[in-house]
Amino acid sequence: MVNLPTWTALAPTLLLALTAIILLVVDSVDPDTSNNELLAGIAGIGSLAAAATSAWLITGGTGLPGESGALITFFGDQLVADQMYLFFSFLIASVLALVVVASYDYMREHRYQAEYYSLVLLAATGMSLLAGANSLAVAFVSLELASLPSYALVAILKRNRGSVEAALKYFLVGALSSGVFAYGISLIYGATGSLQFNDVAQGLSGGPPAALLGVGVMMVAGGVAFKTASSPFHFWAPEAYEGAPAPVSAFLSSASKAAGFVLAFRVFVTAFPLDVVSTTVDWVIVFQVLAIVTMFVGNFAAATQEKVKRMLAYSSVGHAGYVLIGLAALTGGSSDTFVLGSGMSHLLVYGFMNTGAFLFIALAEYWDIGRTFEDYNGLATEAPLACGAMTVLLFSLAGLPIGGGFFSKFYLLMATVNTGTWLLGAALIINSALSLFYYSRIVKAMWIEEPAASLEIDSYPVGLYTAVIVAAIVTVLLVPGFDAVSSTAESAAALL
Amino acid sequence: MAGAFDFAPAIALLPFVSFLVALFAGQYLPKRGALAGIAATAGSFLLSAWVAITVAGGETYNEALYTFTAGLDAFELHLGLLIDPLTALMLLIVTLISLLVHVFSLGYMNDEGETGLPRYYAGLGLFTASMLAFVYSDNILMAFMFFELVGLCSYLLIGFHFREKAPPSAAKKAFLVTRFGDYFFLIGVVAIFVTFAGATRTPGAFAGEGSFPVLAEHALADGATEGLNTLGFEPDTWFTILGLLVLGGVMGKSAQFPLHTWLPDAMEGPTPVSALIHAATMVAAGVYLVARMYGFYALSPTALAIVALIGGFTALFAATMGVVKQELKQVLAYSTISQYGYMMLALGSGGYIAAVFHLTTHAVFKALLFLGAGSVIIAMHHEENMWEMGGLKDKMPVTYWSFLSGSLALAGIVPFAGFWSKDEVLFEALIHGFGSEGGLGTAFLLAYAMGLLAVFFTGFYTFRMVFLTFHGEPRTETARKPHGVRWNVKGPLAVLGVLAAIVGFINMAPVRQLTGAHIDFLHTWLNGPEEGGWPAELSTGLHHYEEVLHDFGLVSASYPLGGETGTLLVSAALSLGLALAGVLAARSLYAVPEPVEHTDELGSIKTLLMHNYYQDEYQVWLATGVTYPIARAADKFDQGVVDGVVNGISSVSLFTGSRVRRIQTGVVSNYAAFITIALVVLLVVFGVAGGWF
Repeated sequence: MVNLPTWTALAPTLLLALTAIILLVVDSVDPDTSNNELLAGIAGIGSLAAAATSAWLITGGTGLPGESGALITFFGDQLVADQMYLFFSFLIASVLALVVVASYDYMREHRYQAEYYSLVLLAATGMSLLAGANSLAVAFVSLELASLPSYALVAILKRNRGSVEAALKYFLVGALSSGVFAYGISLIYGATGSLQFNDVAQGLSGGPPAALLGVGVMMVAGGVAFKTASSPFHFWAPEAYEGAPAPVSAFLSSASKAAGFVLAFRVFVTAFPLDVVSTTVDWVIVFQVLAIVTMFVGNFAAATQEKVKRMLAYSSVGHAGYVLIGLAALTGGSSDTFVLGSGMSHLLVYGFMNTGAFLFIALAEYWDIGRTFEDYNGLATEAPLACGAMTVLLFSLAGLPIGGGFFSKFYLLMATVNTGTWLLGAALIINSALSLFYYSRIVKAMWIEEPAASLEIDSYPVGLYTAVIVAAIVTVLLVPGFDAVSSTAESAAALL
Repeated sequence: MAGAFDFAPAIALLPFVSFLVALFAGQYLPKRGALAGIAATAGSFLLSAWVAITVAGGETYNEALYTFTAGLDAFELHLGLLIDPLTALMLLIVTLISLLVHVFSLGYMNDEGETGLPRYYAGLGLFTASMLAFVYSDNILMAFMFFELVGLCSYLLIGFHFREKAPPSAAKKAFLVTRFGDYFFLIGVVAIFVTFAGATRTPGAFAGEGSFPVLAEHALADGATEGLNTLGFEPDTWFTILGLLVLGGVMGKSAQFPLHTWLPDAMEGPTPVSALIHAATMVAAGVYLVARMYGFYALSPTALAIVALIGGFTALFAATMGVVKQELKQVLAYSTISQYGYMMLALGSGGYIAAVFHLTTHAVFKALLFLGAGSVIIAMHHEENMWEMGGLKDKMPVTYWSFLSGSLALAGIVPFAGFWSKDEVLFEALIHGFGSEGGLGTAFLLAYAMGLLAVFFTGFYTFRMVFLTFHGEPRTETARKPHGVRWNVKGPLAVLGVLAAIVGFINMAPVRQLTGAHIDFLHTWLNGPEEGGWPAELSTGLHHYEEVLHDFGLVSASYPLGGETGTLLVSAALSLGLALAGVLAARSLYAVPEPVEHTDELGSIKTLLMHNYYQDEYQVWLATGVTYPIARAADKFDQGVVDGVVNGISSVSLFTGSRVRRIQTGVVSNYAAFITIALVVLLVVFGVAGGWF
């Protein structure tokens, strides 16, 4: 195999950025273009290339330590291209590819298509960069690079009041959270004198003032909680997901959440090693509280919704709670890599099944059949294939052994069992049981209820169908393929 | 070159194909699936014969064919075939009886214009297929699966006339009672897997290295208990428990006391089905299972004693009830229970050959008697009460003579088949009763005494039946002008009639003893070569069983009455004398032109016998008086407490959910306030806890 130059390790991010720039160039050349095929094609090829490159680099062993025992880093350790970076780049680029394919149909009638695709690509660039951020400064910049296009994306339906209102709320809460995060970073810098994660960890040994460090850590946790839509920073999520066009909701609830988590994993495990900071602030307890509250708030609120999209939005909050177990069950024992790996695996599986589910909502919005559970009655009589795929996705989300969601939840449960964090395990079980109830409501509506007389579907959009069905197939394939995912995730987690 | 064993799977598959053909295409076939069934069972019979010839050449077969799950470091579950002389013999019996029953059904069902024939022939096909698969199962799990399928088929066939009142009820009863026994069997199967899984990949296998009887023997002989999980019991105690659990299924299927109650009711099924159930399939399955895993039972003196006592008691108990029955098929039903009691008695008292021998002869003569009864029932326009018959002897000679041959065999009159096998059963019980030490010997002798007494009753009720049906003057108009029967009825009767007379010659042990001629063919067949060969490979040879019986079962023989020959002659004379006494007693009472009921002379015993010792009554009481209240209480608990808790949780969840939902006000300044307050609360709590301030 040819020896590639080291910068190629950042290829996924570079490809995403390059695609965004090409899209902007196309837009500058022909500002009023409505050549949907061209734009979606460029975006699709770019995202698929990024996903394929990530997968290829992982299998080639790029993210592992080289012969000298060091990982590939850039700019004086500000960026790191380890397995975790590649793992999450793959996740983000895959979700992006699904979203772009679906958007081909969904955005066909809308204006600002070039802007739409370039914004999605830019946000993805930021998220991918966030996955490799190895310093608080880079983290902040890439977080904003991911967030700012997201605000605009939620508001892309300019004449839709719901879309605009959601975007404004999202932006305001986001601004508050960014402020908290930035303040936290400054306090950490004050306490340790550095921003690079490893140096921060080194600086801790000097015995910084407890209050300074403690408040700083808590505020960084707050910033992370915003990005991952964890309670109590989740308020923006249901509003933004509901108001945004469904492909954007899919993108935000899957990729953006994953990007938030990769930051959390890296900051807390690398920069704030538990054995040093636990006397000052035991962040495992913080995340245990956040995980349990998030699970209960998300799932209990989801159980009583009338609108399908809003229900999914809350369920996505609940899933953030499950993934938080990956941090909350870190007890410093030998099973830490398993715990962290389980969280990462769940994010990957969740990326596919949740994106698929939201894209089904996009399909429903495309058909304009309404937003409530009743509006979905008897949908299977008209669109059995899509409804079959949706059923697979929903049951996998609930954790039934029809898709990879079963294994990822099971691994999370095993993580709580191995570390003896029974409370988390119990919360996981209770909330999964509850989630089966509200996911089944959609399945029941689609398959069992009688369709309303007016229900009629006149078109079967290829792009949306492809995206939903591919997501379902990947979810099912993750049952046999889960072993590969979890072993990659664990190996990535072991490198931190 | 492909040998017989390569075609062995087809023995069970052919009837299965006939099941499918009859089920899906039966409506369009000329005989509604009968011909398919006949062709399939004839094919199976020929294949079985080929297999038997191959086995006679000293070859055996013990292979897994399809593994449906295999653990990496654990045991595997598979379907496979075990073919040794016992299997080959049983395959022959089952396919022969099934073939004859199919032919007979042409006369009994087709000619009588029954409806639903495709369903009938489909049932027969599946029944035969499951029994055959059960017979050559190589492991106990597969055996259990087909054991259950046999039970299902008998349910379907007993309830064939489902529009009438009694058959569905009888079918349900058969299903439930045998299912009760099968619960224990299922637990036994699981327990066997649990026990031996640590020591072998094939914990359920019947024969060969790594099979559970062999492992159990090693555990007792060499203390090789590594990998065995006996749940804290001593190995010998635990193996006894396992054997008794499996015995539950055996008692249900083979209708042993107290699970025999389903069998008389099962007479509601069509008569050819009764023949199949009693002779070759359902009821035979239980006894066959014990014979199949005899190496395991032989390890435990306690299990042997229990098997023997149950068998002896059932033999006597059922025979006494047969004495007062008025319907032809009822008498035969009780005789079946009684005869399977003999087989259990033989197995329990160490007479493996005797049991297999009696299983063989009984299959022939009981199939004959049922088919004969079926012929009589055709002639009598479906009247079954013997008091309405009489004098049929001259009007249906083929039926009479073949029925007589079967009756002589059942009663145990020399030289008909039943004499030889029953005599051997009793002889084995006698010598082992005297030879074994302590309680085991006493138990055998007690069982022997009951079995011996039952011989008298057997002779009596058998010939009471013969005399009432065929002799004397016709007592009704129908009996004076019976309906004729055709070749398809007479043919099977003739075949079986001849067989019932001669099949006993395959193992004339007493003659061998007297003359020294090597004519105990069955003994040789099941014993195998003395050194090496299949017995060494499979550990299912008679010689091995005898060693195990002696070393671990503590069964040994002694000859109290003038050496071996003397004891043999005394025993044979005793049982023949009692049988003849029974026949003569029946003759004196019923072989008169105008017989009358003598049962009233029994007084209160008659009431007891007529009510079958109140067995049904107490079992119904168990169901309605004990089980039902418990079930109702459990239902109350389920409805009230369990469902209440679940419903409570869901209403609490939904209520909480609707509260949680309200936090989301839609006003962004509220969100900002919430976030800030939450952050501050977290900061304060952790700050105080972490000692920041």
